[in-house]
Amino acid sequence: MDSDALVPWNRYALITELARRLEHKSPKFGKTALQKMVYFLTELFDIHTGYEFEFYNYGPFSSQLHHDLDLVAYIGGVAVEEYSTEFTGYAISPGKRADALIKKGAEFIQSKEVDDAITRVINEFGGYNASELELRATILFVDRDLAARGKTATKDTIVDIVGKLKPRFTRSDIITAQESMASFAI
Amino acid sequence: MTYEIRDPIHGFIVIGEIERDIINHTEFQRLRRIRQLGFTDMVYPGAMHTRFEHSLGVMHVATKMFEHIIHRRPDYLKDELGFTDSDLERDKRTVRLAALLHDIGHAPFSHATEELMSFDEKTKKVYKHENYSAAIVRYRFGEFINSNPQLTGMGINADYIADFLDGSTELGKSLLWRNLIAGQLDADRADYLLRDSHHIGVAYGHYDLNRILHTLSVATDGDTSSPQVVVMESGRHAAEALILARYMMFTQVYFQHTRRVYDHHIARSIKTLLKQKTGSADTIKNGKFPPPTEECIQEYLDWDDSKVMGLVKGGDAGEHGRILLTRKHYRKVFETPERPEQSDLEDLEMAKQKLSGFTIIVDKAENSWYKYDASDIRIISENYGNTDKLAPLSFLSPVVKGLSAVNQTRLYVPPEKKDDAKRLLMSMNK
Repeated sequence: MDSDALVPWNRYALITELARRLEHKSPKFGKTALQKMVYFLTELFDIHTGYEFEFYNYGPFSSQLHHDLDLVAYIGGVAVEEYSTEFTGYAISPGKRADALIKKGAEFIQSKEVDDAITRVINEFGGYNASELELRATILFVDRDLAARGKTATKDTIVDIVGKLKPRFTRSDIITAQESMASFAI
Repeated sequence: MTYEIRDPIHGFIVIGEIERDIINHTEFQRLRRIRQLGFTDMVYPGAMHTRFEHSLGVMHVATKMFEHIIHRRPDYLKDELGFTDSDLERDKRTVRLAALLHDIGHAPFSHATEELMSFDEKTKKVYKHENYSAAIVRYRFGEFINSNPQLTGMGINADYIADFLDGSTELGKSLLWRNLIAGQLDADRADYLLRDSHHIGVAYGHYDLNRILHTLSVATDGDTSSPQVVVMESGRHAAEALILARYMMFTQVYFQHTRRVYDHHIARSIKTLLKQKTGSADTIKNGKFPPPTEECIQEYLDWDDSKVMGLVKGGDAGEHGRILLTRKHYRKVFETPERPEQSDLEDLEMAKQKLSGFTIIVDKAENSWYKYDASDIRIISENYGNTDKLAPLSFLSPVVKGLSAVNQTRLYVPPEKKDDAKRLLMSMNK
């Protein structure tokens, strides 16, 4: 996308647009959900988001995306607010200057390819909570990681590895999540 | 048999026979010729330390971290995550060796030249020094590691250590320990903040490592159901100090404006040198280091600081090489605030446009390897047996919450053009 751009407006606009479109869709659009949505856009839809993801314990994570969110919040593209209910974290919603920031990356955000991909990602994954997103993103990451290493990624292999990485999920949880992503040939 | 190495930060670092043999290996000795902070000595003359002593320090701290965690939560590790005693014995050894070897793949002058690494067609990403480290472990240490019965008896071979460095998901639950080398709370940062401060002569990177070690733990985050390395509530203020140390070291040292421009000068110098060389890799003619493949890894390892400086001194590195010899670096003529508003970013675009007739260097904080990104450390705020409530440190600490990611961008021009550029930019404000 524009990782080499002097100012990466497209990245900032993408974060803002996701906050806008997920405001009333995602159960709690927080930092984890943002990471996973952008990861799906990058890996499943080949959108050049400009972000690279690595695997940490909490699944695929881009430190650049984390970094950008802080600036986008400061500029006013999004608002990031604390919440503490059963869990403790941050909720992301559109900020006061969301429209202005989306305008700066309008050509990218409103292109048919990106617009369609965002719509599909939201339809497919927008209703999941952080834990469900984490599981699905981890399944995808393992699939891609094995492929990059020239290893055969059978469904069983992926379930086994994800089960070891995320022991709180049952085998049945993982298989269900894997089946929910079958249309993406995972 | 164990040996002790005196270290200015940690006192004595204890090593075993296997580690001693690795340290004495030619490729590890090369780290004595890779400076930790590139050309930082142009600003802080004490910054002459190397990746060699840092690697020993990371092994020492990673080991302490591992030991404190397994002492604190043995039941959680066994019952919840399924580790056996032999798994933990294997992983402790793996963590030590991976920590020792984590920087073995650095290019000359460390992170300053990471932009010259070649492109991986398979992953569509530029290689990182970690990929080179993994390749060197596989292709240069493979014979030694794979023929050592003590290691193979534990299930450790060169591929296993390389996979650990590479972050392969095939490691399963053992990937948890990779966070001790490449995570928010890792031994790498824990060591370099203290070590760089010591050698440079600043106090910005100081924090209470012992308190961090004694309050380090692992827990499952209920929100994402993921096990992770965390800090106990009693270590919250030590974690605050660590974050503050990162912030201060970034703004005062790693992103210091003159220090940063030398990263660009050395990278451009080496690019010029690479283009003049002939090698087996196609990447060289484009000014990139050879890729981390079995065929090209020796060619890559031939590059170190001494070789580069010999060529620079011989006048082979062009304009940027001459800058390194004379300290006539490019000068900063424009910078955004550390935390820019939208209008500041628009001013930056306008400034760059105004300077279109000049040779400029653009430096962005986000491209710095050491960037301060306000990433969070998880704190156990409440504990119910094996279930923990975790909270981001920024949520609990007003001090950390007040720190934001540094997003500064700077523009530099050649020294003789500084006044002209400044005059031109002044007109922007009229």
